[in-house]
Amino acid sequence: MVDPIYIIAAALGVGFAIGILGNIGRNFAGGLTLATIAFMSFVSAQWFAGFYFGNVSSSYIFTAGFQPPLSINLLMGAEEAFLTFIVNLLGLLGGIYLFVNFKRKGRNAFVIYLVLLMGFNVVIMTRDIFNLFVFLEITSIATAGLILIEKGNRAVGAGFKYLLATSIISSMLLIGIIFAYFYTGTLNIDMIIESNLRYMVGGPIIIFLILISAILELKPFPANGWGLDVYEGAHQGFSAIVSAGTATASLYMLYKLLPIASPEWSYYIALLGAVTFIGANLLGVKQRFARRVLAYSSVGQLGLLMLILGLRGFLGPNVNYVFFGILITNILAKTGFFWLVGIVKANEIKEWAIIRRKPFLLFLMGVFIFALVGFPPFPSFFSKWTFVMDLANHGLFGWISVIIIGSFLEAVYLMRWFGYAVKSEDDYKFDFKIQIHKITPIIILTALLFVIGYFTAQFTETGAMINFIPLLFVAVLYFADALPIWVKNTIAILGMGIYFYFTYPQLDNLRLIFEVIFIIGGILTLIAGYNYKGKRQGFYPVALLMFAGLAAIIEAQTTLEFFYGWELMTAGSYFLIIRGKKSMPHALSYMLFSLGGAYALLMAFSIANIGVVFPSLDILNNIANYPVWAYGLLLAGFLTKTASVGLHIWLPGAHGEAESDVSPMVSAILLKAGVFGVLLTLIGMGQSTYDLGTLAYILGWVGAITVFVGNLGAVFQEDAKRLLAYSSIGQLGYIVFAFAIMTHLGWLTGFTYTINHFMYKAVLFLTIGAVVLRVGTHNMYEMGGLIKRMPLAFIAVLIGIIALSGVPPLSGFTGKWLFYNAVIEKGWYFQGVLVFFSGGLAFLYLYRLIQTVFLGQLKDNLRNVKEISFWFLIPIYVLIIGLMVFAAMPQLVLQPLGTLIANYFPNNQLVWEGSYAYTAIGHWTGTGVMISIMVMFLGTLLLVKLSTRKAHKLKQFDIVFSGERPHRPETTHVAHNMYAGFYKAVWPFTLPAVETFWNWISDFIHETAGFVRRIYSGNGQAYMLHIVLFIIIMFFITIGGTI
Amino acid sequence: MEFFELGKISLLIGFGLIVLGFWGILSQKNIIKIILSFTIMETGVNILIVSLGYVKGKTAPIIDSAVEQGANHSVLGQVVDPVPQALVLTAIVIGFGTTALLLAYAMKLFKAKRTLQINNFNDLKW
Amino acid sequence: MLRNLLISLLLLSFVYIFYNLYVGFTPKTELDGIAAHYADKGAAEIGAANLVTAVVVTYRGFDTLGEVTILFLTASIIGFFLKLTEADENKVIIHRGTSELLVTSSNLLVPIIILFGIYVFMNGHLTPGGGFQGGAIIASAVALAILANPNMHINHQIILWVESISGVVFVLIGVLGILLAGGFLDNRVLPQGQFGTLLSAGAIPIIYSFIGLKVGAEISNILEKYQKSQKES
Repeated sequence: MVDPIYIIAAALGVGFAIGILGNIGRNFAGGLTLATIAFMSFVSAQWFAGFYFGNVSSSYIFTAGFQPPLSINLLMGAEEAFLTFIVNLLGLLGGIYLFVNFKRKGRNAFVIYLVLLMGFNVVIMTRDIFNLFVFLEITSIATAGLILIEKGNRAVGAGFKYLLATSIISSMLLIGIIFAYFYTGTLNIDMIIESNLRYMVGGPIIIFLILISAILELKPFPANGWGLDVYEGAHQGFSAIVSAGTATASLYMLYKLLPIASPEWSYYIALLGAVTFIGANLLGVKQRFARRVLAYSSVGQLGLLMLILGLRGFLGPNVNYVFFGILITNILAKTGFFWLVGIVKANEIKEWAIIRRKPFLLFLMGVFIFALVGFPPFPSFFSKWTFVMDLANHGLFGWISVIIIGSFLEAVYLMRWFGYAVKSEDDYKFDFKIQIHKITPIIILTALLFVIGYFTAQFTETGAMINFIPLLFVAVLYFADALPIWVKNTIAILGMGIYFYFTYPQLDNLRLIFEVIFIIGGILTLIAGYNYKGKRQGFYPVALLMFAGLAAIIEAQTTLEFFYGWELMTAGSYFLIIRGKKSMPHALSYMLFSLGGAYALLMAFSIANIGVVFPSLDILNNIANYPVWAYGLLLAGFLTKTASVGLHIWLPGAHGEAESDVSPMVSAILLKAGVFGVLLTLIGMGQSTYDLGTLAYILGWVGAITVFVGNLGAVFQEDAKRLLAYSSIGQLGYIVFAFAIMTHLGWLTGFTYTINHFMYKAVLFLTIGAVVLRVGTHNMYEMGGLIKRMPLAFIAVLIGIIALSGVPPLSGFTGKWLFYNAVIEKGWYFQGVLVFFSGGLAFLYLYRLIQTVFLGQLKDNLRNVKEISFWFLIPIYVLIIGLMVFAAMPQLVLQPLGTLIANYFPNNQLVWEGSYAYTAIGHWTGTGVMISIMVMFLGTLLLVKLSTRKAHKLKQFDIVFSGERPHRPETTHVAHNMYAGFYKAVWPFTLPAVETFWNWISDFIHETAGFVRRIYSGNGQAYMLHIVLFIIIMFFITIGGTI
Repeated sequence: MEFFELGKISLLIGFGLIVLGFWGILSQKNIIKIILSFTIMETGVNILIVSLGYVKGKTAPIIDSAVEQGANHSVLGQVVDPVPQALVLTAIVIGFGTTALLLAYAMKLFKAKRTLQINNFNDLKW
Repeated sequence: MLRNLLISLLLLSFVYIFYNLYVGFTPKTELDGIAAHYADKGAAEIGAANLVTAVVVTYRGFDTLGEVTILFLTASIIGFFLKLTEADENKVIIHRGTSELLVTSSNLLVPIIILFGIYVFMNGHLTPGGGFQGGAIIASAVALAILANPNMHINHQIILWVESISGVVFVLIGVLGILLAGGFLDNRVLPQGQFGTLLSAGAIPIIYSFIGLKVGAEISNILEKYQKSQKES
């Protein structure tokens, strides 16, 4: 092992020597600097590896040949090794990134950079408080210098404010240190800890001065205007180093100094962390400029880390796992992001559309944003999970809410930014270049994020159970993105097929149903993808990401695996949805509702996890602590995915604007993930020893109202895909309602609806999507008469709407028959009537769909459209066959399902005798109904055909328009604004208030942020006033009363 | 305890200078005056450091003929605390560095806008 | 108005905090902690008559290295901060002229001040003073010279070389401490010598001399930068 003191000796020796060696040339000076940083990284890496493999132990480094406290000593322990390694490695990458900028400024810039890194190392390692002060000053001064590698007045202003702020802070620290020395007779931190300084006269004040300075270095809200300005004003290459290096060093400094103080300081620090985390992220919501957004995000993350530091007493052995997981994600992602900002050079987040010119950069940006928000497989996902679980174990739900609120606010602005990058108009003149020395460090960071994420998962027992192979498959598809579409499509279908083949034997019947819906359904919708030409960049990785998530949900044995799958699915579906042409705002609201739902799940899982050793998914059965809360949160979380009333406003836009083959994926397939979750919850509730009937009752009403609102909304849509989207809301309402009945028949109904909805919604969305591809519009009044051009599509839609409307002979009727039996048996008459009435609404919109699209007169511009694509017809007709079989022989599926449900509800089963099903109320046969209706239908058809053989075909222009030709003739068509009169009567029931409510929430957050951020007036003196005010207020809060 | 004790008086002076410095920092609008207020504050801190090393009636920690020496030149009980004197040296140097840098910044700011009023430098905000 | 009230309140609060520190303070009558050890054994362990120097250069030598680094940093930062363009380099400082008195006395005093500075840092381990003080004295000579002749040319290369070499030597002696004695910056790489003489206290005189040179060079460097930044058309 190389003595860590050589890190310092090398840095300073080279730093001093560059003064003359620099005469050789700037490249030489730069190269020498990088070589030295590489050496420093090597030394700390060596120690880190030693600790990782357990063949070294913590060792002290004594200077001047004396033992402490006589001389200054440094400590190289596991934490120090890790942190110095990270700082040095980032320093090396940063040095490469900034090489050209430094070179332009001359050799001094290299020297200052080298000394800055050395300063970080000493701040991390030293055990002497005055030495800490000296090297902290070194880092401050070096920072103030390097801010100036950016040209312009903004950087100068930022540097000046920074210097003013740090000068005040360091004066406070110095007063504290000198008094600490006076009282304890030592400057060694360990000795000061032992000396019981806090019990001495004046001790609390001294400790206050020391700790408040350490806290202020961490830029607590709201005394952090100076820090924000540095992040924004400095060169982005350097802001990254400040964000990563300074933050790391300052955090560790606080960590070292904390034991001096009494334990309640931990509480104050956690509180400040919470305020900072929420405050900074709240203000971030209002930001327009890329740099400032990142600044707020950095400060927010520091707040989160402070919070963890303060709550470390509750984390037990997990403290390092949680702390370092979040720290490393923040460091890697934030650094990479800052550097990305330095490359793209678009000021406003709206201008980030230009990043699409280099799709790979968009990928990097996505990785950083999803890592920061805490998605899997990045380390912060696992750390946050462990953190929340531990907090719940101690009953600290208030802190969990803080984490959730802050994370959510952060997601709001990061996701909005990403949406702009993916979707906003790119008509900007300015361009950017990718330089190899700038992009390489970013790529290394990204790779590290994935690798460390993987190792973070392996660190825990449950994390190690996660199956990463599907994710690996997604990565393969990403790298194969340059291949033609049919190759990728085939790979994707084969991959999913193989996955299904290997996993389905291990599944119980319940999971098998959903696995079939997810994977087989996925394969069918993917077949339609053969229709597309070109490369369809980015489609396959994200689609497969969603399916990987869905597969993980099915496969999950533990709550962590389930949540992992849930988040993967959310991420994948978000990317899929945002691919649509006008999807930007809808994808954002989808993401935010999904995240809100995911956080509700997280909270519920954490409640279920209380006192549990191994978090298998069974812990959701009979949750003992706060059962109403736990199940309520679980349901709320899952209902965001099923788009139940109140949480439904994201769905119409998201599904309606998606691509033609994406709509069926996210509608027919993805929504079932929510159903699966609701089902798991209800299974758990069924086994609860508590009476949760009220919860189920409420759920039933939610379902019923959703049916009504969804169906009513569908009636008034001009857009065919939105119509289907609203219809999905309603249909999911049926499913939720049926499951909420919590009887054997109720669940059977629920399953029937689930399977049905999957098939007919896939048929309808695929067909309408294919039609849209042909006619180029979503508006139904611009279509019409398409039956002549697309008979096969017409038949598909006809069958789809028959199945949907619940008319015999198709399986919709099966569901309806079961449904009425279940409702009558349960006695939910009011809800039943509401649902029944809504069924009538379904006829209205279904009639509109088939009439306005396929019947009536063909539009002029559509005279030459062709039948929908062959590749769409394949899955459509496969599904239609499925529908037919299910309708004719429902017993094939319903009988095994009955056995499955009997595990939970053994009473009042459906009794089968051959194809006849009996309940207490009546009986019915699918096969019989199918045969009789078919006979009637074919007979009538034959009769009509025979009797109208000589009929005259009416041409379109047999009728004449009279009067003026309207500007937009199609608006005079019956299809346009079809149910206007009806709308006037019932519009309040479409619940526009829900949308108004969510808009109000959003406005409220924005207004608050806009108001609060005015404290950052930009005036350096005001910032100093904030700092001083912060000190005084904290003084009176912490110890003011006790003196 | 007598009131006019040297250690206590210098401590008071130190505190007084720090508060005075804070006043200047928070209320002066001219950047040069703010920087001067910083140096006043730093001086106050330095005086604090030195006065905390003071031991009544003892001499400077330099071993020469003026000090009574024990075995191996031990001067325990004869001299004031040498450590704060060493620390104050460091503190002065750090103060020097910061002040020099602040002044350089002030020059740069002045060149940018031809003014030294701190209220005019609000480029980054909100 | 409100602002002034707020500031007064803040200052009063500081007075309150400091008052509490002040009333809890009782001056020491005896040394304790590490100071007692230094006073008792410092001379024997380090061999320096000036105990402050013993603390600065050896016991807390690592801090001193940091201090030197801070000066070095400041000089470097100001170096690229106040960097002039080629065109500006050739301009001169316009000033009202310097008085005869100043010019004459500076010609007389500058060499003496430099000599005094050297004396101060070489005897840092024996008498009050040391590297920082000596270096500052040397720099004050440079400042005087600049005042007397604002357009004087300062040889930048000499400053650079002195600065660089003395810094590197300081670090090297520190490293020698690891190899030959107890640890980084241990002064006992050289024999202790006769207590109270110039060549005593191990490497302290050497270290302190180089510190003195380095400090003098750094501050002169800063002065030179400021001097140049006054050039205008």
